[in-house]
Amino acid sequence: MIAAAIDDNYGRIKVDLISRGLTCDRLIDDLLDHVCCMVEEDMNAGSDFDSSYDRVLESIGEKQLYEIQHQTLLLLDKKFQRMKNFTYLFGLSSALIAIVGAFFKKMHWPGAGILITVGIALVVLVFLPLYFIVNYREQTEKKNPIYAIVGYLTMALLLAAALFKIQHWPGAGHMIEIGLGFLIIGFIPLYVVNVFQRGGKEKISLPYVAMLLVGISIVMLFTNVNMSKYLLDTYMKESVSNEARVEATRERTAHLMEMFRDSAHADNLQTVTLIHEKARSLQIMIAEMQEGMIAHIKQPGVSIEQVRRIDNRGAGREAIVDTGSGGEFAQAAIGYREMLEEMINDPVTLSQIEDHLEFTGKVWPHEYGARDVANGPLMKNYYKLTDASKGIALSEYVTISYLLHH
Amino acid sequence: MIANDLLKGTLRTIVLKLLADNGRMYGYEITKKVEELSTGKIKLTFGALYPVLHKLEADGHITTETEYIGKRVRKYYTLTETGRSWTEQRVDEFFDFVTTLTYVLKPTPA
Repeated sequence: MIAAAIDDNYGRIKVDLISRGLTCDRLIDDLLDHVCCMVEEDMNAGSDFDSSYDRVLESIGEKQLYEIQHQTLLLLDKKFQRMKNFTYLFGLSSALIAIVGAFFKKMHWPGAGILITVGIALVVLVFLPLYFIVNYREQTEKKNPIYAIVGYLTMALLLAAALFKIQHWPGAGHMIEIGLGFLIIGFIPLYVVNVFQRGGKEKISLPYVAMLLVGISIVMLFTNVNMSKYLLDTYMKESVSNEARVEATRERTAHLMEMFRDSAHADNLQTVTLIHEKARSLQIMIAEMQEGMIAHIKQPGVSIEQVRRIDNRGAGREAIVDTGSGGEFAQAAIGYREMLEEMINDPVTLSQIEDHLEFTGKVWPHEYGARDVANGPLMKNYYKLTDASKGIALSEYVTISYLLHH
Repeated sequence: MIANDLLKGTLRTIVLKLLADNGRMYGYEITKKVEELSTGKIKLTFGALYPVLHKLEADGHITTETEYIGKRVRKYYTLTETGRSWTEQRVDEFFDFVTTLTYVLKPTPA
C-alpha cells in the first residue's frame, strides 16, 4: 500500500529533486532512495503520501541537495583536492620564509632582504590567489567573486606595502593607505554581510578574523617603527641648538669683517668678501633644501618645531635627492673647502677647517650618502643640514680670523 | 547529542565499521543504524553521509551493487578487501585515540 503510493509518485519525486539542483546521476539514485525511505517512514506513522512528502521536503530545504552534490563532487575532484593541499602547504612555507627573513633582519644577518622579498612575493603572487580561488570554489551559496577579489586585493596590498616599507622602496605609504581603505570600506563590510547572509549557519571563522587582525597589527607596526620618538626629539633639540650656533657665529663673523675694513689688511677685503658670499650661498642652498622638505609634507613656510610629520620618509628623497640639489650642494661645498684650504698655510687652522667641513670629506658620504638621505626621516635629514650649516659658518669664521691675523 | 566538531573525522570510521559488521547496507539504513546504536545521540544527516560514501567508493574502499525496489534503484554499499583491512586499522587507531584521551582527560589520582 505504502510502497505503491511511493511508486505512483516516483516520477514527481525525481523531478522535484532535480529541480533542487541535483544533476549528478550517482547521487540522484542515492538521494531518491533516501527520500523515499524517509517518506515511507513518515507514512508508517499513519499519514497519507502528500502530507508526508511535504514534511520531508520541508525538512530537506531548498539548498541542501545542491550543497551535498557540490561537496561530493569537490571531494571526488582529485585535482581540486591536490590544489587545496598544495595551497595550504605553499602558504605555510612561504610565510615561513618571510618569518625567517624577518628574524634575519632583526639579527642583522645577510640575506634578510632577499628572504623577506621572496617570502612575501610568493604569498602575494601564488598563495593568496590560490587561497581565494579554493575558497570561492568551495562555496555553494551566495557565490560572489567580488568578495574573493576584494579580499585578495586587500591582503595583497597590505602585504606588499609591508614589504616595500621594510625594503625602503618608494610607494609604501600610498600602498598602505589604499590597502587600509580597501580593508575598511571594502573587505570588512563585505565579510560582515557575507556572514549575515549565511544566516549564522557558519560561525564567523575565528582563524580568519585572527589572521586579519594580525595582518593589520603588522602593518601598523611597520608604520610606527620609522624611528623612535626619543631619537627624533634628540635630532630636534640638536637642530635648534645648531641653528642658534650658526646665528652666533655669523654675528662674530660680521664683527670680524668690520675689523677687517679698518685694518691694515684691507687689500684682502675682496678675498674675505668672496669667502663670505660663498658661505652665504651654501647656507641658502641648505635653507632651500630644508624648506623643500617641509613643503613636501604640505606645510610650507612652517618652522621645524611646528612640523607635525617629522618622521616623514619621502621628504628627503623628494627635496634633496630627486631634485639634485643635494648633489649640487655637496659639489659646491667641496669647492668651498678647497678654496679655504688654499688660503691657509697653518696646519692647526687647516685641521680645524677639515673638522668643520667633515661632511665634504670622503668618509662622510659613505656614512650618510644619498641613499640614507632618501630613506631617512625628515628630522634626521634636517638635523644633518643644520650640522653642515654650522660647519660652514665656523669654517668661515676661522678662515677670516686667520686671514686677519696673518 | 554529540557535538559535531567531536564527530568530525570519525564519521568515516563509523561508516566503515558499520559496513564491516553488517555486510551490505544502503544509505538510509546506515543513518538509521547509527541513530539506533547511539540511542539517538548521533544524528548522521544524509548531507554528511553521501559525500563520505562517494569518497570511500572513489578511493576503492567500498563498492556498490544496485537493486530495484519497485521503480527506484537502491544502492547497497559493501567493503572491498582493501577497505576491510583499512577499517581494522582505522578502528584500532580510534580506540588507541580514545584510550589516550582517557588518560589525558581523566588522570588517575596518584
